[in-house]
Amino acid sequence: MADDVRRWSDELARDPASLVFLPLGETLRRQGQLDLALKIAMRGLERHSHNTDAHDLLARIAVDRGELQRAFDEWDMVLRLTPGHLGALKGMAFVRFQQGNTAEAQRYLEQAKEHGGEAEVAAALANLRAAGARGAGRGQGDAGRGTREDGNDNHARPTPHSPRPAHNDARALFADILGEHEQTALLLDDQGLVLAGIYVGDDGRDVAAEVGAELSGVTDAARRATKHLDIGEWRAIVLETEVAVVTMAPSAGDGLLVVAASRATPLGLVRRVLDRCLARARQWLEGSQ
Amino acid sequence: MSASPFGAILSALTRQRGVRASLVVDENDGIVIESNLQIGQDGDRVAALAASLYRKARLSARAARLGTATFMQLEAERGRICAAGHNDLVLVVVADPAANIGMIRVEMIKAAGALP
Repeated sequence: MADDVRRWSDELARDPASLVFLPLGETLRRQGQLDLALKIAMRGLERHSHNTDAHDLLARIAVDRGELQRAFDEWDMVLRLTPGHLGALKGMAFVRFQQGNTAEAQRYLEQAKEHGGEAEVAAALANLRAAGARGAGRGQGDAGRGTREDGNDNHARPTPHSPRPAHNDARALFADILGEHEQTALLLDDQGLVLAGIYVGDDGRDVAAEVGAELSGVTDAARRATKHLDIGEWRAIVLETEVAVVTMAPSAGDGLLVVAASRATPLGLVRRVLDRCLARARQWLEGSQ
Repeated sequence: MSASPFGAILSALTRQRGVRASLVVDENDGIVIESNLQIGQDGDRVAALAASLYRKARLSARAARLGTATFMQLEAERGRICAAGHNDLVLVVVADPAANIGMIRVEMIKAAGALP
């Protein structure tokens, strides 16, 4: 990745009109270098003011910077250039949801559904309706599993404007912690039943209950192993699979917290997300008692 | 140095800082195939428990439609258990909490790929 950034930077230095500013800006955004990404995107837009992808890139950078209205305006421009642009519609829905305008968020999602984002958008719509005025917007699980049709993720980093979920809004409990990487989180009770969080499968269904039930069985084996090997209480399990990184940790009341992320997500980042979700779960459980 | 096909793999793993035991275990019955243990480690017990844990994690991940497990790590207060599987064999490492788990993971994934 570092090689790519260097190569694209060199190419852009040689040819300022090159379109490599698009992958370069996107990579920098994903790396969290938002100021630099913004600079690259702005310079690119100066030369390619009618390039849809450039406006889309700028919108995503703006979301990551917490500049929601700016992001909305850029996606609005994308829609003017490319009517029905799926990513723009979903992005605008996300912004409106973050701004507390769920009715308009729903309208954009319905338009997105008409333009091909069926399973993913249907899940987000279902989440929005289920959660009512404080719903999950694009949905935590949706944010965790969704991938835009153009191959770019459209996940917003938590912003200062992100509403904290209410106690009765359990499916969105971790939504603002789960960032731009594809990831999701579940809080399970001692029976493996879902207390909070959401997990949307590829078919758009919420499969949290199935996933929770299957993974919770691992904890018995973990307890047995640590006890008989005399290495103390278990603190975390990290399981890497072909497609995912799954981390699990015991939570209050003999419960279990599960964070799953795409395989591309760095392990250390998943662990940090797990720690933050554990703290959130602890607060939430204490608050609901 | 063991003459078995796994001796070199286990020796390389045991040289990693903080590694207390490394074993190749049959995942199905938890029986040790080859081991390299520090004094005080009960190889049979480690093998049975780690194989059981890995098997459970692997099957759970598959049932949860998360794909085939490639590596598992359990962290506890006073140690870590790492496992990487290939076919019916599981490579198991027991390490100290302060071990360099990044290096151990890389070596284990590489070694697991070389298991028959």
